[in-house]
Amino acid sequence: MKLTKSFNKSLWAFHFNSGSCNGCEIEIVAAITPRYDPERFGIKLVGSPKHADVLIVTGPVVKKMKPRLLSVYEQIPDPKIVMCVGTCGTSGATFYDSYNLDGPVDDVIPVDVYVPGCPPRPEAIIHGVVKALVKLERIEGGGI
Amino acid sequence: MDIIATLSSGYGFWNPVMWLIAAAVSLLVVYLFWLRGEKSYKKGTAQGQPFIGGNVAKEKGALHIRAGNLYWGYTESLKGYYRWVVPLHTGVLNDYVLWFLGVMAFLLVVVVVL
Repeated sequence: MKLTKSFNKSLWAFHFNSGSCNGCEIEIVAAITPRYDPERFGIKLVGSPKHADVLIVTGPVVKKMKPRLLSVYEQIPDPKIVMCVGTCGTSGATFYDSYNLDGPVDDVIPVDVYVPGCPPRPEAIIHGVVKALVKLERIEGGGI
Repeated sequence: MDIIATLSSGYGFWNPVMWLIAAAVSLLVVYLFWLRGEKSYKKGTAQGQPFIGGNVAKEKGALHIRAGNLYWGYTESLKGYYRWVVPLHTGVLNDYVLWFLGVMAFLLVVVVVL
C-alpha cells in the first residue's frame, strides 16, 4: 500500500542467498552500516519480498534454491528490479560448470543490474542500488 | 414501534437501529481500507501465498495448530480405543449402512430371539 507519493523514492530491498559463500552478504551488511548509511535515502533491507522493490540475489543459484528463488521473485509486487551481487550470480564464477548449478541468476530470473566482484565493495553495491533506483523510476514513469 | 425499541437489560442495552448504523460504519471503514490496497496484487499466484523463506506453502493445517492439538491429552490417553475405532470410520456410506444393518440384526437377535 502506498501511503503518499513521497514514498515512491524509498527503495526497499529484499536479499536472497541462492548459494553464496557469505562473502557478498558480509559486504551487503557493510553497505547498510552507519559508515555508508543508505537508509537516509530510504534504502533499506526488508524481511519479506512482499514489501520489496528490489530483489538482491547473491550466489550462483544451486539446484535446491531455484524453486525458492522463483517463488520469492514472484512474490515481489510489480514493478520490481532484480540486482545480482557478486561474480557467482553474474556468471557462476569458479562454479560455472558445476553439476549442482541451475544458474547463473539470469538463467532463472531476469536481471536488471549486475554488480560484479568477489565480493563487490559496499560502494559498488550502493552504486548498483542507485542504478536500480533509476531503472525503477523509468519503469514507473513508463520510460521502458 | 416495538421493532426499533431499545431493550434494556439493566447492564446494557440493545437497539437495532444503532446496531445497523454501527455495522454500516464498520463496513464503510473496511471498504476504505480495501480501496487503498495494493492494486497490482495478482490473485492465484505466489503473491497470494504466505512467505516462508521461499519454501512452498503447505496446507494450513500443517502450518497452524490444528483443533485436534487442543485435546491431544484426551486422544493420547484413549489411543487404544481410537486405534480401533478410527479405521472403522472410512467415510464410505456403504460401510456405514452395512454397520447399521449388522447392528440391527444383532439387536433383533437379542430382543426377539433371546
